[in-house]
Amino acid sequence: MPAPSLIGIGFEHRVVVGLAELAVSNNPSAVLTTYSLGSCLGVAIYDPVVKVGGLLHAMLPDSSIDPAKAAAQPGMFLDTGLPALLREACGMRADKRRLRIYVAGGAQIMDDNNVFNIGGRNRAALAEFLRRENLHVDAQQVGGHVNRTMYFPIHTGRVTLKVSGLQNEIILC
Amino acid sequence: MLTLDSFIESIDYLPPMPRNVTSLINLLNKTDIDVDQVVQLIQYDPALTAQVIRHCNSAFFGGAPASDLHEATARVGYSEIFQLVVALSTAGLMRPQQKGYGIEVGELWKHCISAALVGKFVAADRGADASLVFTACMLHDLGKVALSRSLEAKYDEVIAETKRSQCPMLLVERNLLGFDHAEVGGRLLQQWNFPVELVQAVQFHHDPVAAPEHGQLAAYAYLANMIACFMGFGCGHQALAFQGRMEALDMIGTTPEQIPGYMAKAFYAIRDTEKLFGLPFAK
Repeated sequence: MPAPSLIGIGFEHRVVVGLAELAVSNNPSAVLTTYSLGSCLGVAIYDPVVKVGGLLHAMLPDSSIDPAKAAAQPGMFLDTGLPALLREACGMRADKRRLRIYVAGGAQIMDDNNVFNIGGRNRAALAEFLRRENLHVDAQQVGGHVNRTMYFPIHTGRVTLKVSGLQNEIILC
Repeated sequence: MLTLDSFIESIDYLPPMPRNVTSLINLLNKTDIDVDQVVQLIQYDPALTAQVIRHCNSAFFGGAPASDLHEATARVGYSEIFQLVVALSTAGLMRPQQKGYGIEVGELWKHCISAALVGKFVAADRGADASLVFTACMLHDLGKVALSRSLEAKYDEVIAETKRSQCPMLLVERNLLGFDHAEVGGRLLQQWNFPVELVQAVQFHHDPVAAPEHGQLAAYAYLANMIACFMGFGCGHQALAFQGRMEALDMIGTTPEQIPGYMAKAFYAIRDTEKLFGLPFAK
């Protein structure tokens, strides 16, 4: 008889990825979690073969506004956070060609003139990075006017979302 | 449907704004404030005194520990103490869950503190009065505390209405109740004898150009609220469902291109304050 899995008996532990942070794990009991994305983007990457996952909570598209902050806190910006996320996951034997990518957040206010659209610019920065790296998004829920929270258990690689003010969780993938 | 006046009269469930805060806020416009006056206003509230000393002695401010309120005030300065007291004193009102908005325990307070810290950075950048802007931002969503109960009974309608019409939350409130949280917040502050600039800043924080006199302060509250929401410190259902107002930025002489810089600057202050106030990350 196989030994009971730790997951089955409730040994999941939450790893909180704060604003402007990123985390990578191959611990099957870890649930990478990032709260309240606003116009920030939550980017989850997962290699299903080696079961390595990473999560980034990036606030802004472009680090050129503050290179010092980008050096101290690469997760603050997509152009520094995404390469760091990829590097750390590959350092744990994830293979870039096998990566699944799931995205949430990038909300925006009601802005007909599109002058305040930080969420949209974050999404564009991600698209540009993925195009350069020859990667693509497998599932996403972005835009709108809502705050989203992401839960990413490493042992399943399935991302669920909680939308602020609503009861039910949404299965992203 | 109730009128705004009869609604305000019918509210009997709000804790009062602590009297020392109203007195402290009335000192805001005076230029020659004495540390003694500030200490006097705080010291009659032992719990607040203890909290202020504890916060002044935290790693956030650094230095040798202060043993009394005088020392603490002298060390961190009047503005910091003022802002600390405003933030701490509003906890009773702002911390509870606001079911009518889908806001969990602690979230509204965290939203307001985040907006207040953002407002402080923008005010410093534009040469405005940081304490006044901090206070306006801290209080901007006060009306939600009063309206939440009325919306709670209609929460399914709130969700259906936002889904169907894709209109701002402010309009959903008006359609369902006849008035909105900005009007209610302004009216409450007026009733509590707050200075007119704070009344108007709260009342017009979603439409600063409509303010009769103090539109600029309302514009600071508008921008700070927006930036806090971008950073994920908005709260409740459809937190970002409000109108973009370019004119608000014009009123304080800033541009949309400066917003990312304000976000990056406010980030560390908000993170340190989260630790200082033990604000909840988890929901």
